[in-house]
Amino acid sequence: MIRYLEIARVSYRRHRAYRAANVAGLATNAFFGVVRSFVFVALYRARPEAEGYDLLDALTYVWVTQALIMPVMHWGWLEIAQSIRDGDVISDLSKPVSYLGYWLSRDLGRSGYYVLYRFVPTLLLGWLLFPLRQPEQLATWIFFALSVLMAAILGFCVLFLINITGFWTTDVRGINGLAVTAVNFLTGFIVPLEFFPPTARAIAEFLPFAGMISIPMNIFLERSTGLAMLGLLAQQALWVSVLVVACHMMLAAATRKLVVQGG
Amino acid sequence: MDSLFVYSRLVGAQIRGQMQYRVSFLLQLVGSFSLVFSELLAVLILFRTFGEMAGWDVGEVALLYSLVAIGFGISELVSEGFDDVSVLIRLGDFDRVLTRPVPPFLQVMSSRFALRRIGRIAHGVVALGIAQWWLRLPWSGVDILLFVAAIAATAIVFFSVVLIGAAICFWTTERTEVQNVFTYGGTELVSYPMHIYNRWLRSAFLWLVPLGLTTYYPVLRILDKGDPLGLPNWLSYVGPLVAPLFFGVALLIWRTGMNHYQSTGS
Repeated sequence: MIRYLEIARVSYRRHRAYRAANVAGLATNAFFGVVRSFVFVALYRARPEAEGYDLLDALTYVWVTQALIMPVMHWGWLEIAQSIRDGDVISDLSKPVSYLGYWLSRDLGRSGYYVLYRFVPTLLLGWLLFPLRQPEQLATWIFFALSVLMAAILGFCVLFLINITGFWTTDVRGINGLAVTAVNFLTGFIVPLEFFPPTARAIAEFLPFAGMISIPMNIFLERSTGLAMLGLLAQQALWVSVLVVACHMMLAAATRKLVVQGG
Repeated sequence: MDSLFVYSRLVGAQIRGQMQYRVSFLLQLVGSFSLVFSELLAVLILFRTFGEMAGWDVGEVALLYSLVAIGFGISELVSEGFDDVSVLIRLGDFDRVLTRPVPPFLQVMSSRFALRRIGRIAHGVVALGIAQWWLRLPWSGVDILLFVAAIAATAIVFFSVVLIGAAICFWTTERTEVQNVFTYGGTELVSYPMHIYNRWLRSAFLWLVPLGLTTYYPVLRILDKGDPLGLPNWLSYVGPLVAPLFFGVALLIWRTGMNHYQSTGS
């Protein structure tokens, strides 16, 4: 356990070295936040409320999701696929820690960094620029934090699965494009799942992707409280375990057929 | 003419190269298409719920959206090489570019031809089809001309932004991610009618990076809508003409940057 904590800590510190890159990314996240906010302001001129969201909810949704991009989703992370391509994967596989645990710890260290240096400042900027809703119950923050932690693990699992298809295809960019689409859309990142047509909504709310954005947002906006909210957390936890097992099985299948190229 | 010949030969080689891995290429194409298509789907879902946006209906926004997507797609097709400029500079490889008997601009541009970006263009065409299906626009000859000119102008403006971003690397070495605000952020911003934004954002995307002039104003004319911002009518026709001007400025910055280039000396 200590080892994994150490891996996470090193990963956290490594990310802290790229300060300028983080500021640039922050500017981009915030810019999109501003644009998406104006879009909702314009849309809500036609009606004051939609699917239980008023303008304040929608603006909060925009800014919290923009803030969650780096802690949870980080599109286009293909580090493992790259290591499979160039053969470095073998040194990672021979480390005296579990391969999955190694990458998960690294990723959680990264998420931790981005919670402090991306999530917090993005949200503060949003609060400065637009009227946003704050959770009324203090406990909501705690459940939200728990939910974001599980969202980060789900996000990692999805990316891990995409990456290790590299054992079979060596070029994962195409699959990655498709997966990013699915993630953007089915998490509720672009549009809240509640706005989907009924069937699409039901499917999306069932899938694991909902746990990455939609469920944490649901908790943050206090749309579900009490037992309903605990049910959502349980659903997230269930998908976390399913996906972790899936990652294990895929990895086992992959390493069985691994042939390392080069010397 | 000579450089055009060189460019077409180099790009031809690129295309042949990318076609060698057919499955990989097709998957990338599908990936690129689906990625942008989800954005369009999101717009459609929002309009299903809200019906209209500041006086624009779904077909009208789809028309604007298609213009932006096709224009950006075309610029991405040819501008990807400039993303590598910071690497070229850092590794000292730009020395080699300077010694070859082909203009550096052309070498960098032809170093990468992103054929998979056709996915975005195709998606823009789909959006155009959807817009037409909703709006049943009559499309006079002038309209068509204006729309095509607007696409070209939009592509030129996006390309110029990337060129300026690459030129800045001559001073900073590192690629400045701020460029993303104007490319990816810009596509998002101008995909919706300009009058929904506040004065600051509007001014930045009309007079600093003239994307609004090459997208919003031509579309206003084609849709025969008045300008809620109260700017004169002729702006719709003049808008696309600023693109070459903006490109000229970008080229000037690129030239200045290149003169500023000092090899890493390694």
